[in-house]
Amino acid sequence: MTGPLERVLSAFLADPVAPRYGYDLMRAARLPSGTLYPLLARLERQKLVASAWETPQQDGERPRKYYQLTGEGIRTARLELARASSRSRGAPARPGCAAPGSLG
Amino acid sequence: MRAEQQLLRVGEYLVGRASQRLPRDIRAERYREWAAELPVILNDPQIRFGPRRVVRMLGYAADTLRAVARTDVTVRRRSAAMTAMLRSLLLADLAIVGWDIWNIVQAPGEPLNYLRLGWGLLLVAYPIAMLASSAVHAGALIVISGNLLGVAVNLWDAALAPRDWVNYCAAALLLFLVPALWLASRWTRARRA
Repeated sequence: MTGPLERVLSAFLADPVAPRYGYDLMRAARLPSGTLYPLLARLERQKLVASAWETPQQDGERPRKYYQLTGEGIRTARLELARASSRSRGAPARPGCAAPGSLG
Repeated sequence: MRAEQQLLRVGEYLVGRASQRLPRDIRAERYREWAAELPVILNDPQIRFGPRRVVRMLGYAADTLRAVARTDVTVRRRSAAMTAMLRSLLLADLAIVGWDIWNIVQAPGEPLNYLRLGWGLLLVAYPIAMLASSAVHAGALIVISGNLLGVAVNLWDAALAPRDWVNYCAAALLLFLVPALWLASRWTRARRA
């Protein structure tokens, strides 16, 4: 699992059921938009994250898209973060190198 | 308020450019998503210093464009055969440039040799641009410029030797290639869109 993915999953897991906007995730994961959105798109394709459009609260306000971990996403994220944590305690993993069958 | 609108327009322009590079079916949705974040960033209450909010908003838009442009390039991977062809073309073009330089050394006062060297350099620029970034648009521009310069060289040759029909044929062939390449470039971009 790569560092940016780890940070995104950690940001989601801080409150797994809360809907998160792109900008909120950027701040929480300390990632630039160009790194975050491709990651979110990939997690969405893997059905680990679901997205929806909010209803604007005021007239003229643009609806924003929010993201939320799916049930499967919460389970996978916890598992992957636990794996990453145990790996970092053990042998040093090669950065950017994914284990077979993992999120990558 | 007016300045804020102007800044938002700049941000919207950048995310608009980014979304234009995406496949048609997701383009509008991505634009809506990214554009909706811009006013939120510009009015982020957690950032007190106004100029910092502006930098962050523009940084958000610019980084989105950068990432999409990078993906756009990496998607267009070349085949091994295409890479080999481009390398051969580069070698052949470098030989032409070498020949042009030799001609300039032999006859430094001949302006046609400099024109030929310009043409040769544009021919070299094309495979380099393609090998470096797969930028179809930039590559097509270089080839079209090279062709136009080639037309000029052949017409100059024709003026010097009006009876030599080869110069007219070469100029006509290169001139015909310009619209053909332009259409091919447009077709490639339309297919990618």
